[in-house]
Amino acid sequence: MGVVLPVRHQAPLPTTLIRAETPRAEAIELDVLIVGGGPAGLACAIQLARSAPDLGVGVLEKAGSLGEHSLSGAVINPIALRALFPDKPDSEFPFRQRVEGEAVYFMTAAGSLRIPTPPTMKNHGNYTVSLCELVRWLGEQAEALGVNIFPGFPAESLLVDGQRVIGVRTVAGGLDRDRNPTDVFQEPTDLTAKVVVLAEGTRGPLAQAWRDWQQVGSDNPQIFALGVKEVWEIPQPLDRVIHTLGWPLPRDAFGGSWCYPMGPNQVSIGLVVGLDYHDAGLDVHESLQRMKLHPLFRGLLQGGTLLEWGAKTIPEGGYYAIPHRLSGDGVMMIGDTAGLVDVPSLKGIHYAMESGMLAATAIVAALQQHGGGGGAHLAAYDQAVRQSRIVGDMHVTRNMRLAFKDGFVGGVVKAGLMTISRGAFPGGRIAMAADAEAPRETHADTPFVPDNVLTFSKVDAVFKSGNATRDTIPSHLVVGRDITGDVADFYAHLCPAGVYERQGDTLRVNPPNCVDCKATDVLGPRWTPREGGSGPRYRLM
Amino acid sequence: MKIAVCLRRTPDTTAKIVIAAGGTSIDETGVKFVPNPYDEYAIEAAIALKEKAGAGETVVVALGADSVQETLRTALAMGIDRAVHLQGNASADGLENARALADHVRGGGYDLVLFGKLAVDDYGQQTGAMVAELLELPCATAITMLEIADGRATVEREVEGGVEQATCALPAVFTCDKGLNNPRLPSLKGIMAARKKPFDIAPVTVAAGAVTVASLVLPPERAAGRIVGEGAAAVPALMQLLVSDAKVI
Repeated sequence: MGVVLPVRHQAPLPTTLIRAETPRAEAIELDVLIVGGGPAGLACAIQLARSAPDLGVGVLEKAGSLGEHSLSGAVINPIALRALFPDKPDSEFPFRQRVEGEAVYFMTAAGSLRIPTPPTMKNHGNYTVSLCELVRWLGEQAEALGVNIFPGFPAESLLVDGQRVIGVRTVAGGLDRDRNPTDVFQEPTDLTAKVVVLAEGTRGPLAQAWRDWQQVGSDNPQIFALGVKEVWEIPQPLDRVIHTLGWPLPRDAFGGSWCYPMGPNQVSIGLVVGLDYHDAGLDVHESLQRMKLHPLFRGLLQGGTLLEWGAKTIPEGGYYAIPHRLSGDGVMMIGDTAGLVDVPSLKGIHYAMESGMLAATAIVAALQQHGGGGGAHLAAYDQAVRQSRIVGDMHVTRNMRLAFKDGFVGGVVKAGLMTISRGAFPGGRIAMAADAEAPRETHADTPFVPDNVLTFSKVDAVFKSGNATRDTIPSHLVVGRDITGDVADFYAHLCPAGVYERQGDTLRVNPPNCVDCKATDVLGPRWTPREGGSGPRYRLM
Repeated sequence: MKIAVCLRRTPDTTAKIVIAAGGTSIDETGVKFVPNPYDEYAIEAAIALKEKAGAGETVVVALGADSVQETLRTALAMGIDRAVHLQGNASADGLENARALADHVRGGGYDLVLFGKLAVDDYGQQTGAMVAELLELPCATAITMLEIADGRATVEREVEGGVEQATCALPAVFTCDKGLNNPRLPSLKGIMAARKKPFDIAPVTVAAGAVTVASLVLPPERAAGRIVGEGAAAVPALMQLLVSDAKVI
């Protein structure tokens, strides 16, 4: 048995993410540039377009079309949509269905025990959604209001002047494996703006680089979980929202599963595991495959069809991992990029939207008061977020996820006491290390053999993500140092999309398989922005 | 040089297709739509010809429901100057659609009217040639090369075992095949400019025509493949199966 310490093998963040360069002559000038067309970025754009229609607003999105890189469970709290569209009735929102019943189970390998629903996990009044559908719908609303939406244009780097962020450079398209231009080569484009809003989602590279550069820390480092999700067409409808704890995860891992009804003949099913797990062989994709064979789920899925598969990380650090500053000169962070996720209630979408709306309000005020120099006056956004429901909710549950760092049983007891005391127990802050600092124990493992009926290999899974990235794309993954066979095995299990394989004692990398979940960016090879439209093409996630 | 491109919106070729209730159309729920890939060759040809000429106008025309406007905007983002949405429901009879398009193009002063050689969803392959006939213009289908000089067009077509070259006077109608060019992707500047380009909406009524779709079915599912084995040791078993089961040797 050996030990892998992920941080020892990790490459540093590429220095090219921050460029102190004059924008090119052909640069596009905007007032506000939003990096990332998810719920946070689009809510921000919609609010901006409504309150200041004269502003030039652009949204860069790395997916080929809006929503194709968006993934969540998801049960959504509708309050943010209602606040953003006060004139629309709930029936116009792209919900799948209202939550009519819910159940939480503790699972063992052979059985399951229904347990009381923890107060944080009650979903009365909430709705199941496909985040892809929600994002597409938000995109239509934004476009109708005159927002420029640029799908297929990932941001490659921040353009800076002194300490100020002045814009973004996009990724070049049409390069071959050796980064030589092909006949469909697309030059990078520079975009400049008075304010750049980073809405990159989970583990955004530009936000990481900006925080490193400006030394914006947080009380605890951000920690992450990896979720793997499938959407199934099923013969019989599911009548309730299901959450589970326990098996197939080991006792020393934090996580659980969900199964949500998505209308009469579809369900969303998935498994989430905190990336501070201890077993180097833990494999979230394979664990989800095994879980589907459990009596709790097998009957539901039998006779059904796997429609789509996807994976994504989730920022789980909560209150103490929120960056000390959410804005700087010419720049702000919203949504998952700012870590605005409440793990005990499994909610982030409405917080993401609300943070985008608060950012929009602060931008409009700053630009009205200070004109072109408004980018230096964005601190009102920090205050607004700190005083909002977002941070209020996250404060109540501030130590709850952190209580599980030493194991499941103690975590449940502590989380219960925290619920009763509204976060006052145990007082203070539970300190966390970054996920990559947690050592992983290696041991021989038994390979998983899919049945191709209910369970599938990673190769088949990637096909079901819609990923059709061309094989000749340059690698966007930066592998670190001293990669032994054990480390290669660890990456192979960590990555749900089969990007990494152990061959002998070396690591083989298949970059086109990548679905941008960012798990290895947390624990291993770095993810950098690649050609627009690459990666998954989710329709139902 | 005034060029019209007639455009169709088609499901993305990787989209999972489900037949809608009624069994004569596809269920569009959740399906991603794109400009018909063959039409993109026509769009690229129009933009490149205008760029080369240094003057002129390119216009993209589409017939259909409001959903086609997104497709027209993609063409504008690629570089087409102006869009026309002929707002109405297309017929299953290609001739009726051709009539609606020809009525719009006629009298527009176009030197060239370009189409894709077929739409990848219904494989109709009729509209371009029918529009040419209705306008009484010369037509070449499935062109892989197009040159304009002195009021004449020279085109090439890939025919069985070789290449056919043809010429005709303008105005003319051509349908475009793969190989004609490499369609450009919309640029950021193009996407922004597209919002400000002229976009006309003209309601049209398309007659039902003589053809109706009786039914639409998906192809039967293919059986899963078999892995016989790996390496040289598996060759005899594979040969045996090719002879006895597949009967291809």
